[in-house]
Formats: sequence, structure tokens, C-alpha cells
Amino acid sequence: MPLSQGARVLNRRRFIVGAALIAAAVSYLVYAGIRTTSMYYFELSEFVARRDALLGETLRVKGWVKQGSVSWDAHTNELAFELATKDGGSPVPVAYRGIRPDMFSEGREVVVEGRYQQGGLAARQIMTSCPSKYEPAVGGAAPRAGS
Amino acid sequence: MPEVGRLAVCLALLFAAYGVLAGVAGGLRRRAHLVRSAEHAAYAVFGLVVIATAILLRALLRHDFTLEYVAAYSSSTLPTQYTVAALWGGQKGSLLFWSLLLTLFTTIVQVQNRERNRALMPFVTATLMTVAVFFLSLLVFVTDPFERLPVAAREGADLNPLLQNYWMMIHPPSLYTGYVSASVPFAFAIAALATGQLGDQWTRSVRRWALFSWAFLSLGNLLGARWAYEVLGWGGYWAWDPVENAAFMPWLVSTAYLHSVMIQEKRDMLRVWNVVLVLLTFALTIFGTFLTRSGVISSVHSFTQSGLGPFFIGFLVFVLLVAGGLLAYRLPELRTPATMESFLSREAAFLFNNLVLVGIAFAVFWGTVFPVLSEWVRGVKITVGPPFFNRVNAPLGLVLLFLAGVGPAIAWRRASPRNLRRAFAGPVAAGVVAAAALALARVPLGYAFATFALGVFVLGTIGQEFWRGMRARQAMLHESAPRALGRLVGKNRRRYGGYLIHVGVVSIFVAIAGSNAFRIEAQETLKPGDEMVAGKFRLRYERVTSEENAHLSRLAAEVSVWRDGRQIATLAPEKRFYKKPQQPTTEVAMRSTLGEDLYLVLGSYDPPSGLVTLQAYVNPLVSWLWIGGVIMAGGTLVTMWPSAAERRAVAYELGRAQVPAE
Repeated sequence: MPLSQGARVLNRRRFIVGAALIAAAVSYLVYAGIRTTSMYYFELSEFVARRDALLGETLRVKGWVKQGSVSWDAHTNELAFELATKDGGSPVPVAYRGIRPDMFSEGREVVVEGRYQQGGLAARQIMTSCPSKYEPAVGGAAPRAGS
Repeated sequence: MPEVGRLAVCLALLFAAYGVLAGVAGGLRRRAHLVRSAEHAAYAVFGLVVIATAILLRALLRHDFTLEYVAAYSSSTLPTQYTVAALWGGQKGSLLFWSLLLTLFTTIVQVQNRERNRALMPFVTATLMTVAVFFLSLLVFVTDPFERLPVAAREGADLNPLLQNYWMMIHPPSLYTGYVSASVPFAFAIAALATGQLGDQWTRSVRRWALFSWAFLSLGNLLGARWAYEVLGWGGYWAWDPVENAAFMPWLVSTAYLHSVMIQEKRDMLRVWNVVLVLLTFALTIFGTFLTRSGVISSVHSFTQSGLGPFFIGFLVFVLLVAGGLLAYRLPELRTPATMESFLSREAAFLFNNLVLVGIAFAVFWGTVFPVLSEWVRGVKITVGPPFFNRVNAPLGLVLLFLAGVGPAIAWRRASPRNLRRAFAGPVAAGVVAAAALALARVPLGYAFATFALGVFVLGTIGQEFWRGMRARQAMLHESAPRALGRLVGKNRRRYGGYLIHVGVVSIFVAIAGSNAFRIEAQETLKPGDEMVAGKFRLRYERVTSEENAHLSRLAAEVSVWRDGRQIATLAPEKRFYKKPQQPTTEVAMRSTLGEDLYLVLGSYDPPSGLVTLQAYVNPLVSWLWIGGVIMAGGTLVTMWPSAAERRAVAYELGRAQVPAE
């Protein structure tokens, strides 16, 4: 039984309202999600330039593991090293407790996620890059380390 | 030989460009011979790409290290199966492989439509050839897979060890198949817009292709998850990495299309929406390739920037402009008078399912590009990680699961109170009983609880559909129960195959919810004979063993697993050190049951002290992820299998084709 013209218009409105409610819900979830879970991502040089304002923040910093700076204690799983620019400049101390990532070694590019405290970064995750030769195939996932 | 490959690619580009021009000209001026000529050009493109691919494969298998690609992605000690996989292991090879699939599908589409869809075909061919022109241009002008090294390498650098894994052999081809076959529905949508034949003909013609593409995207995503789970050793299977999201977004939109196209067929509504979904799916496959290739979004993956990004963005803009322009031009003709009548109807359930799926795709897209956007707008890169995606998508996923239970059982147009009672009394009761049982079992209230209870509700509606259909046949046709069930499914393959797919989806939801909510993690540094506890398991580190061959050396920690005072398994997580790209990798050891996986990682080994650090994860219900995938694949096969009537039609056409024509 076909609807009358009036009922049809009313219906269209109801569906537009329904769809708008869903869109609003999705937008709210995205907005709230970003507000509560986002963090800064800096190159090391950017980080060094702004670090005074970042005390206590949890963030990600990308840099290179400085040559000769790594110390690793197999008994306690404590890893300490300095994150620096590619040529070893402006080093920032990093402390991490956990599994030493497979591809972590001196001179490698890494991303450190952690809290910036007096004296350095307390890392909760260290992400190593793939070797530069590696172009990932579509859909592969990131090699990652830490937890 | 490589020069021949290069020549084949160049010629293929010329033929493809001709195919575009001849197709469009033949279609606009209605010249049948031009259209046939365009189709023949497309066949030639396929032949040439086959030749080029064969030559690259031959070079890989013969370890021809004069080629840059062969030297970069294989070595003389690489096992043969991975040497074959190196064909798509690197960027250049993967672009060639993409072209191969695209031209293969073009060929199949043209053969299928020799006598059908003649008005649409010129533009279908022209669209597919336009995509081919793009990929072939990259191979000819930007990134040549047949590039020679100035000096031949003595040995190859080898394929990345992480890719030397059997899941990695089938995961990329599967995903590529899904990506590339999405071009076919796209080409038909463009052809429908170009010709103004906007009815159901094009959607019917691409029904199988859309399903095919969707099935391979599903498979590719699951295989990728499986690979990540087994190889990467961080205890999980999905990390919301941009590269994963790239494959997930087209899947979401494609899923939406498969549902909403049913409303178009049944009620002649949502034509515009369906065209948009098909265009969007294709655009997202190009965007996904862009993400994985460009390094614009810093995935932990792709620190290497390949310089292909601008080309993909250019092509994407071109696609969106052309498709958007055509859509705007045909918009008045696409509108149909039919409207929704009630919220309580199947079409409304499907519509909301669509909005939620597209909403999830939007959220994933937003989270993925947010670092770039924030850098543009605020000058600071801000990233969001898995917590963002989980928070946003968990509630949306629950809504989706609920709708999967409502959609199959509710009436079209307007559900009467009687229909609602009849359709949902049983399943709702089942869901409530399940919730009570969960509460008694002290499952904490939360997403996992809700997922399990809703899952039972969904299975309830599906089971009821099967049961009632079977009983009806038994009563009317006096068939035995198995026969009635078989016939029921056989005569309504799409419907019941779809229900089976939903059973697989429920299984996957349960796996995701369970493994996220109840996962246990433990990490300890042990000396031989020491024990640690992970959930209900006791783990004893016995000893370490090592072994070495030409390709790699391995170090394994032998761990005995105890539960309730009995030894139930011995596991040996490993570290491997590959020799060519000097790199250690982690080999997970797993004891997998339907209830949970015990997942062990050898974190580190300290030779002087003999200390090892073990990471243990107890991941509940993960097996149901893979089981769900198998069920989905089975359901898809049921859905796509030709019905008896279709088989007769095909036999008829084949018979006609054998009669000498004209």
C-alpha cells in the first residue's frame, strides 16, 4: 500500500533525523577518542626545541640510537641509550624496561613512545624501523617491539 | 631477456592507451568495430603483461643479479617458494603483479560480456584500461622492474626475513586480488553513468565481482592478521597500523555495498548511494596503495619514502573528479520515487548497517590521516594509536552486530507487531538466557559480555531462519531433514550463504572481544630450571638449544608447560639470526586450543649467564578468528556458486557460441 504524499515527506524527515543522529554519534566518538588518546609525534630536533614545554607529556619521538650509548642489563631487562640526530647531535637519554626489540641496535632509526621527565624519556614502547631496503607488501603489519 | 620485458611493458602501455581512446570513441559514436578493436587491444595488453611477468619471474628463479630488483629482493640461497613470492615482495614487482591481475580481470570481464551489456562494455573496457595506463606508466616512466645494475651483484640482498613465511606467500596476492577486482564494479558504475543506463543491469552484472572482491579483501585481511600474529611476536594480530587500515577501509565500504544493493534490487531505492559506495571502494583501494607506498603517513612500516606518492594522489584526484562529475551529471536521473516506510523494516536495518559501516570507515580514515592533517592545520604532528581505534570502533561494532541479528529476520517495508514477535521472540530469549549464563559465570559487564550475548541473539535469528525454512519444505514437499536443508540452501544460495557468512562474522566478533578483554600477559627473566606463571599455566625453562645452516642460525629455549600439576606440552620459542640481511627475528611458539592460545616469545638470551627473558601471553578465543574466516569463506562459496538456472543459462550460451556464427 503506497504511502500518501504527506506521510512520505514525514518519513523522509524521520530518516534524515535518524541518519543525522548516527553521524553525530560517530563524530562524537571520533572527537572524544582523539581528545583522550592522541599524543604528539616529534622529530628529535623538534622535540629538543620545545622540550621545556613538554615536561610530563606522553609523546612519540623519532630519532637515531646514538653510537656507543647503549647499555643493556640482561638480568633486569633494563635498556638505556641516547636518542640523537643522525650524526649524533643533541642526545636525549632514554630509559626502557622490557624486551629489547629485535632490530634495535646502535645507529638505527627508532621511534620512542614514553613520558618526558626531568632528565629524559621514560619509554613504554620502542618501535624499530624496518631495514631501509624493505618496502612492505600491501597489508602487512608493522614489526614492533615492546608491548 | 630483461630488455624484452621492458619492451613488453612499453608496448602494453601503448595498447592500453589505445584501448581507452578506442573504447570511449566507439562507445560515444556507437561504432561496434572500434569497440571490438578496444577489446582486442585489452587482450593484447594482458598478453604483454603476462610476458613481462614471466620474464621477471624467470630472472628471479635464475638468480640473475644483473637486475636491480632480483638483487634487492632475493638471493641464491632463498628457498624457491620465497623466490616466487619475491615477485610481489618489492614495490616494482608488486606494481607489475597488480597490472597482471588487472589485465587478467579485464580479459575475463570481456569474455563474459561478449554478447551481453554491449552498450556498457565500451566504457567498461575504457575505464579498466585507464587504470592499466596508470600502473603501466609507473612501470615505464618511474619505477622500472627491469632496471639493470651498473655492475652485476655477486649475491642478492635477500627477501626480508619477516616475509619469508608461508602466510606471506598467500596474504599479498589475496589482498591484491581483492583490491584489483574492485576495479570491475567501479568500471561498470562508470559505464552506467556514462551511458545513462542506470537501472539494475549494471549492479546485476557486477554482483559476483563485488562479492569476489569482498571475499578476497576479507581473506587478505585475515591472512595478514594471521601473519602478524605468528611472525611479529608482540602477542596480537591487529595493531591499527596505517597499512592495515588501508586494507580494512575498502573492505568496510564494500561490505556496505553488498547489503545496500539488495535494497536497490528489492525496492528500487538508494541508487545514488550504491554508485557512491562502489566509487568509494575503488578510490579507497587506490588510497590504500598510496598509503603503503608513499611514506606520507608514518607507519612504523614505511620509513622509506618511495616517491610514488604524488602519482597516486594525482590519479586519485583524477578518479574522484571524473567519477564525481559523471555522478553530478546523472544525479537527476538516478533519483527514484521509492522511500523508506518505517524504521521497523529490513531496508531500514540495512540502511543503518550501511551508515555504521561507513561511519567506521570514516573513523578509521580520520585516525589514519590525523597526523598529516594536524601537521597541516596546527603545525604539530599528533598521532592516535590503537586505543583511539578501539574506543571508537567497539561501540559501533556492537551496533553492527545487533543489526546483523535484526536484518535477516525483520520484514521488508514495515514489520507488523506480529512479525516482530514471530521473528524475535526466540532469538531475544536466547540472548537473554546467554546473558544470564554469562552473569552466573561471573563474566564482567563490558564489551565482551555484550558481544557474547548479542552473538547468541544473532545466531538465534540465523538458526531460526534455517530451521523454519527446512520445516516448511519438510511439511510441504515431504522431504527428509538433510535433503530439505540442502535444497533450501541450494535454491536460495545468496540468502543462506549470506547467513553462513554472518555466522563467521559472529565467530570473529567473539574472538576479537574475548582476546581483547581477557588476555593475560607475563614476562620474566629465568635461568634453566626456573618457573613462571601465566594464567593457569606454569612454565619451566629447561634449556637452550642452537643450530646453524647456510641461511640462518637459530636459538631455541625449551619450555615445558604445566597445568594442574601435569605437563601438557613442550614449547620452543626461537630467535633466528638471518645471515644475509643481518637481522634477528623472533619465532613464536604457540599451543593453540579452541579456548585459548598460549603464546610464547623468547625475548632475549644472555649467553654468559644463560639467562633468558620469556614473554608469555594467554590469548583467549583467538582460534575463533580463523574458524570464523573459514566459515565466511564457505558461506561466500555457497553464495557465489551458480544456481541450477544459471548453470543452464551458461550451458545454453556456450552451446550457442559453438554454432558457427554469421
